[in-house]
Amino acid sequence: MNAVVADITYRAMLGRKRIWLLVLLPVALIGMAALLRLIGGWDEHTAVILMRTFSISTMLPLLGLIAGTGVIGPEIEDGTIMHLLAKPISRPVIVLTKFMVAASLVAAFGAVSTFVAGYIMVRDESGVAYGFALGSLAGGVAYAAVFLLLGVLTRHAVTIGIIYALVWEGLVGGYVPGARTLSIQQWATSIADQISSSAFFSTDVKLSFAVPALIVVTIGSVLWAGQRLRSLSLTGEE
Amino acid sequence: MTIQPTGVIHDIGYRHYEGERLGRGHVVAALTRHSLRGVFGLGRTAKAKIMPFLLAMIMLLPAVVSIAIMALVKQQGLQYHDYATIMQPVLAIFLAAQAPYLVAPDLRFQVLPLYLSRPVTVLDYLGAKLAAMTSAMFLVLATPLTLLFIGELLVDLPGPPHTTDYVASMVSAAVLAVLLASLGLALASFTPRRGLGVASVIAFYLFASTVSLVFYGAFESMGQDDTAKWAMLINPFFLVDAVQVSLFGTPPSNGTGYPPGPWACLIVIGVIAAALSGLVLRYRKATSS
Repeated sequence: MNAVVADITYRAMLGRKRIWLLVLLPVALIGMAALLRLIGGWDEHTAVILMRTFSISTMLPLLGLIAGTGVIGPEIEDGTIMHLLAKPISRPVIVLTKFMVAASLVAAFGAVSTFVAGYIMVRDESGVAYGFALGSLAGGVAYAAVFLLLGVLTRHAVTIGIIYALVWEGLVGGYVPGARTLSIQQWATSIADQISSSAFFSTDVKLSFAVPALIVVTIGSVLWAGQRLRSLSLTGEE
Repeated sequence: MTIQPTGVIHDIGYRHYEGERLGRGHVVAALTRHSLRGVFGLGRTAKAKIMPFLLAMIMLLPAVVSIAIMALVKQQGLQYHDYATIMQPVLAIFLAAQAPYLVAPDLRFQVLPLYLSRPVTVLDYLGAKLAAMTSAMFLVLATPLTLLFIGELLVDLPGPPHTTDYVASMVSAAVLAVLLASLGLALASFTPRRGLGVASVIAFYLFASTVSLVFYGAFESMGQDDTAKWAMLINPFFLVDAVQVSLFGTPPSNGTGYPPGPWACLIVIGVIAAALSGLVLRYRKATSS
């Protein structure tokens, strides 16, 4: 961890237009929860639909994508990463610092808003709010790590990340059960399922697989990104 | 004693353009053509071609599979009017990946004044970009539909060909292309960064589709089925499908139907108008500063 690098990254993330995307989605989630409560649709079933479709499978990948690629992508794109790499800071430490920033942003915006929205909908009924908050925390951290790695690997990180989240987790995961075992949002749902006793949802992925998978993917991505940054080449398209 | 001249202008051979000036219309046409080629990565590096062609190929896959099904079991596979709604994530990714390319680099490198020093106006520039994005979206969707129709004619299924269905889907593909292109360009033009542009366009699509899904589920579980149908219209793809249903009477591809009346058409016109005015306002600001 390097405090100066973290400070610069926080300022780059929060001081630009990027923050609007980070803020708008959680605000929309809480707003929808409040609206649904107002119009009287606040039963546990609706709460679970909102948490699953909006929080876990839409907001979480997007926040992970914006935070994960945002901490390093723009710097690589306009070449200013050179100034950072020229400093006597080990590259894995730079990646670790940037990952911590991204993970903390996803946790602050994703997990907290999920908990607030869940609490507005059903209070602490069957632990839905707690379960999804913890699930989105774990999933968000993993997303941040994977998309940070993508940001180091390629300049089309955002597009590739979207294809993973939409096509693999959304389309393929919807039809092919086997694809669900390799999906971060299913692992997050699995954690949520473990804590919540709600009868309205269940998962295909066992917790004994989901938790190790989340840990391996997160640590593996950060390590690989650190190795990859050691031999970063700035020549490329556009 | 004579004073020697100290400054001399050398003739280094610059020549004026003597040919015919082709004028504004020609510039706009050239810009449109250049932008349309750029959307598919033509005239750019090999890496820039991968994504658009990959997505266009994915769009063709169901048509090819469907023709194979038609040839083997003599039954219609995929329906024309369902094509856009089934393939909506692919179309949304294509829009998100390519719309920022059209607007972001010019804003980022601040080359708009160079365009505007020619006979092109801001509206011409935007019109060219919009025409390029619209035709790209239309091409991506209309090619598989046409392929499917040709396949159906060649396989010669029992019964008359589904010509009305095909025409209806082509018209709604055009409507969808205009709607998506204006939304995509309006969203992408707000940031000069390409990555952020991609993220905001896809965030908009995901947001719209899940909001519509959540409210549909909520209203339906409350037993208000008529209100639930309105929630469907939040998703731009189902909105255009609703237009298709009200114009041509095709079966709705969401399985439940849409609110009756011309509302979907009016909403589409309203959304396109809002997106276009947002785009024009954005460029007023970008060119004045």
